[in-house]
Amino acid sequence: MSVSEISRELKELIVRELKLEGKDPTTIEDEAPLFGEGLGLDSLDALQLAMSIEEHFGVRIPEGDEARPIFRSVASLAAYVDSSRAALGAEDARTPARS
Amino acid sequence: MLNARLYVTGVGLVTALAPTREASWEALLRGERGIREIDLFDTTGLRGRLGGQVLDVTIRDAPHVATGAWSRSSMMAFLAAREAMEQAKLDPDKVRVGLVVGGTTGGMYENEGRLAELHSNPRNEDALIELLSHPLTAATDCVSYALGPFVRTRTLSTACSSGANALMVAAGWLRAGLVDAVVAGGSDGLCRLTLAGFNALSAIDPDPCRPFDKSRRGLNLGEGAGFVVLERATEVRTRKATPIAELAGWALGSEAHHITNPEPTGATPARVIQAALERAKLEPADIDYVNAHGTGTPLNDPMESAALVRALGKEISRIPVSSSKAQIGHALAASGAIEAGVCALVVQRQKIVPTVGLVDPDPACPLVHVPGEGRAHRVRAALTNSFGFGGMDSSLVFKEANLDDPPIFAEERRRVVVTAAVALTPAGLRSTRDVGELLGEGPVAHDITLDLGAHLDTARARRLDRPARIGAVVVQRALQDAGGKIVPRMGTVLSSAYGALDASAAYLHRLIEKGARLASPAEFPNLVPSSPVGHVTIYLGLGGPALATADLETSGESACTQAIELIQSGEADIIVGGGVEEASAIVERRQATMYRRAPEDQKGDPPRPRAEGAGVVVFEAEKVARERGANVLAEVTACLAWRDGETAPLADVHPSDLPSCVVMPRAQDEELTRLLDASPWRDVPRVACDGAGGEHEALGAIAIGAATSEIARGRVKEALVVGLAKGRGYALRLASRC
Repeated sequence: MSVSEISRELKELIVRELKLEGKDPTTIEDEAPLFGEGLGLDSLDALQLAMSIEEHFGVRIPEGDEARPIFRSVASLAAYVDSSRAALGAEDARTPARS
Repeated sequence: MLNARLYVTGVGLVTALAPTREASWEALLRGERGIREIDLFDTTGLRGRLGGQVLDVTIRDAPHVATGAWSRSSMMAFLAAREAMEQAKLDPDKVRVGLVVGGTTGGMYENEGRLAELHSNPRNEDALIELLSHPLTAATDCVSYALGPFVRTRTLSTACSSGANALMVAAGWLRAGLVDAVVAGGSDGLCRLTLAGFNALSAIDPDPCRPFDKSRRGLNLGEGAGFVVLERATEVRTRKATPIAELAGWALGSEAHHITNPEPTGATPARVIQAALERAKLEPADIDYVNAHGTGTPLNDPMESAALVRALGKEISRIPVSSSKAQIGHALAASGAIEAGVCALVVQRQKIVPTVGLVDPDPACPLVHVPGEGRAHRVRAALTNSFGFGGMDSSLVFKEANLDDPPIFAEERRRVVVTAAVALTPAGLRSTRDVGELLGEGPVAHDITLDLGAHLDTARARRLDRPARIGAVVVQRALQDAGGKIVPRMGTVLSSAYGALDASAAYLHRLIEKGARLASPAEFPNLVPSSPVGHVTIYLGLGGPALATADLETSGESACTQAIELIQSGEADIIVGGGVEEASAIVERRQATMYRRAPEDQKGDPPRPRAEGAGVVVFEAEKVARERGANVLAEVTACLAWRDGETAPLADVHPSDLPSCVVMPRAQDEELTRLLDASPWRDVPRVACDGAGGEHEALGAIAIGAATSEIARGRVKEALVVGLAKGRGYALRLASRC
């Protein structure tokens, strides 16, 4: 999966999981900030998004301060998902992490 | 004249430290921790596996109590309520005793497996039948059966402030003279659902928690029960009971901010603390100890510190503050009641309890901490805070007991009027003028088909699930109908008989299928019984008292009664009260199965199919309605609630000579017929609203709305709404003001 495909799926995930009813995922800009300004998401959305990304991409997002730069924008999230999947090996990453 | 100064005369505690009051108190003072590895259920995959599990939940010395089908929550409620009643030497056969129980999890622990099974196999009849201990009212009914008779009961939920609010409701009943004593408190058992939910919210500390510490990482959940016996000074003297502490002040309010995160400045808790002090006629200089909500989450502790600084000013630099949650965990609905009991003991025994685990205080929590162990301390008055999901904040103030303090006379109960009523059923949205059309026959579909999204700002309403959306639509419409200038701090009381049963089943199913890491943080808050009312306060910005109630088929009546009581006692000026019942495949299949499996001789008519429905009524203090120029539709001229054992509840409520009607939520059954035939309302025409109103547990609120509508349209001058369910009843008399 290319970074642009990951971005597209992330945008769909954001709209679906955060219940942004009526929002067209393609209108979310790659570099737009997700929290505060921009989409106006908050910490509860970050938790929901982290859980959904783990389910969908099999990638765990770290907790706390480490997560901040990752959650900056769709672009930063996509880059993190892409590099984590590469590190895990594409095959393993397809199976969502179970604990 | 009654001296309505209120005293605690009994305290009962079941905590992770010990299943009794004295052992819990001693262990609290010694700084012991009851935080241990939870072994009630599998905690695999959770980052926090520690909690305040109660080790010994067994009922001894009560051979008359059949506890086989009781949940942990019900058993702990019984143990704590019995201990409080024994200490108070309270005999409910001799005085009129009320019972108020706060809860959130109910029988979830016992039912988790069945609910997960029902999600994947909806036709499992055994699982349906066994879902007995689920409704929140189960603990109330168990305590009532085992320790009653109680003349008036209430089951409420405001998540983590439920227990504190139970005492607030009890205080209102006593001040109003409705009862002579109240057994009030909360009980909540640990369960997989809440542990997984708080885990998903990243709110759990994997280690023993450290409230107010710089390194704190979250809370440890706990379980338990706390109950107190409250009485007026007059009865304390007559019964020669020993007062433990005075309940001098209480207040509640809503942040209207966020479903899980506290508003960081602490403005609402500060306002609530100040209102509780005002009620107690005390100044910050009179407070010598605070038992904090103090959960140990990164957000709560600095917010609570800010609220205390804001409310208590410079005095906060001398007042010791501690949190008991490091020792007993956060026992959710029980915590406010347990901590109220602890505060009563603090002022009685002049010793304060510690914050265990606190080593390096966070500079964002600039308080006088009590690390390590408890110690002797002069305490004239103590404050305790409780904050619940959805921003429902409550504070209680306890004072040293002195029966010679100048008497407080029962306040005149404020007159209450109705200014709007709204119903939402499969037949559509009906406002005040036409709710009355729901009286009488009518075909009813199953689901509400109104496009809820079209009535809401969907961007702001995105977190609202179906019951919350239904609630927001009806409350919003009712406030529009009530017109005039809307005063700030309006309150909201919404009932739900069974809570989010189907959503809980889906959550549990996913939890078992996919593991705790994939439990949804965003969906979890919607499973809490007070979630719809919390969402409504946030969506509409309502800062007044907010509560959820439940009472089986009379849930709608319980919410309206609660709303009226809060206005009568001055807790709020305007409250929208009523019920919201979403369709529930589980509840509906269970009812059908129960009917099919009942022995032939117990079968009556088959149950009417349950439908979705909601009804709310705007209640106001008469004075406030007049001042703001509202269109008053009817006045509440009687508001009764009773329990089994009451033989003639309507004997003193007479119809006037004006054209009247009796509005029955449900078509009359034998019991209701007998009750009305033996009452002064014998010859008054009766009309039911379960035809066009549908069959659901909010029907009582629709009936009250329909009665209002009949009066507003001039068809009658007076109406009595009477609702009955197993072992309980409510009656409300409404009269035209013209």
